[in-house]
Amino acid sequence: MSAGLASAELESIEVDLLLEGVARQWGFDLRSHARPLLLRRLRRHLREERLDSFSELQARVLHDAEALEGLLRTLSCTPVSLFSDPAFFRDFRARVVPVLRTWPSVRVWHAGCGTGEDTYALAILLQEEGLWGRCRLYASDSSEGLLADARTGVLPLPGEDDARRYVEAGGKGALTDYYTRDGNWALIQPRLRDGIFFTQHNLATDGSFNEFHVIVCRDTLLTFNRTLHNRVHGRLFESLARFGFLCLGRKESLSRTPHAAAYEELEGSGRIFRRLA
Amino acid sequence: MSSIGILVVGAPRASAADVEALLTLLPRELATPVVLALHRGPHDSLAAPLGRRCALPVVEPDDKDDLTPGRVYLAPAGYHLLVDKGCVALSVEPPEHGQRPCLDALFESTADSYGPRAAGLLFAGHEDGAAGLALLQARGGRVAVVGEDWEGGGGQDGHMEQLSLDTVGAWLGRLAYVPRARGMP
Repeated sequence: MSAGLASAELESIEVDLLLEGVARQWGFDLRSHARPLLLRRLRRHLREERLDSFSELQARVLHDAEALEGLLRTLSCTPVSLFSDPAFFRDFRARVVPVLRTWPSVRVWHAGCGTGEDTYALAILLQEEGLWGRCRLYASDSSEGLLADARTGVLPLPGEDDARRYVEAGGKGALTDYYTRDGNWALIQPRLRDGIFFTQHNLATDGSFNEFHVIVCRDTLLTFNRTLHNRVHGRLFESLARFGFLCLGRKESLSRTPHAAAYEELEGSGRIFRRLA
Repeated sequence: MSSIGILVVGAPRASAADVEALLTLLPRELATPVVLALHRGPHDSLAAPLGRRCALPVVEPDDKDDLTPGRVYLAPAGYHLLVDKGCVALSVEPPEHGQRPCLDALFESTADSYGPRAAGLLFAGHEDGAAGLALLQARGGRVAVVGEDWEGGGGQDGHMEQLSLDTVGAWLGRLAYVPRARGMP
């Protein structure tokens, strides 16, 4: 066996031991995450922590809750700007909002909200469309650390690119209407921030916690392997009201999931599905 | 001798025309999937034009799609394309070398999941991809660089084969030789 193959084998053993340790000590089971993504993020974490091996990381993470939180943060991967995918928000406005207008109240769940940028973008959109008073917006993530950031409503100050994406997303006012500037930071308007319920929820292990009319879960399930991915889609299905909307990432599909037949993709919507059965 | 299970190709934007030429060389009976990462802009729709002159279907896969022999999988704009054993894994991690899709991500994940059963081809001209290709070589994959301006970087695992557009066809032929169907005229 060449040296390269031998070291690959050893690394693989160390990663398995790390994941098993994290699962047994902390109850976070990362073993059903997509292996190539997991390896990349773990390696990046190792570099950032200036550690030489996964064994060292394991020793640290098993004894130190803060080290675990640091690891979970690295593994979570969410957009760090408002309206990160303008096409999605434009389609949401065009295709979903008109239906929501006809409903007396709307429960929305943003699953995998990370530090909240997309959640706030969604809140801004709902406010502009006159739906904010009728909507209850729940946002969840498995990392308490990321949620703590999200709850503050403080974001890096949006720049020109953000303003441009806001316009592309169909924005009706000016992005600056929705935050107050504090140095290099932006504080989201409290009326938006205080209307969002941030709550810890682990898609991999926790059950359904309500019935929703809209579920936004974009690019979050990329992290999971196929088995877990399909299981989570089962949970999303259980959590979605009939005729409710499921919003996925641009390159995520329902085609191999157990409930694919229950949904209809809105034509030309870039992955917005409606539950019909 | 063809124990190759996957062919991965990485190319910077400047090599787009050369990539198109490469695609025309792929035999219709190719027994492996081809996975292609090409630096690209945010909105480009590339699969259709690249597929026009290719005997194999060129697709931009969704996350967790199966890798089927005889198809070319092009990394979609805005995502890193990684390969798992037999399927695609897309990722929205931050760009690397200023690029998403980036080439290193593809080569690195191929080294992990296919190792010596992989063949990798990198079009020279950008720093992205060199580290990943060296890793793939270290893990026993068969690798080569296309282009003149390659400044070595072959690493401790020695010589990295260098090809021109004229010789890449022969390299592919050695790699994934498929006997022609019998009974041809």
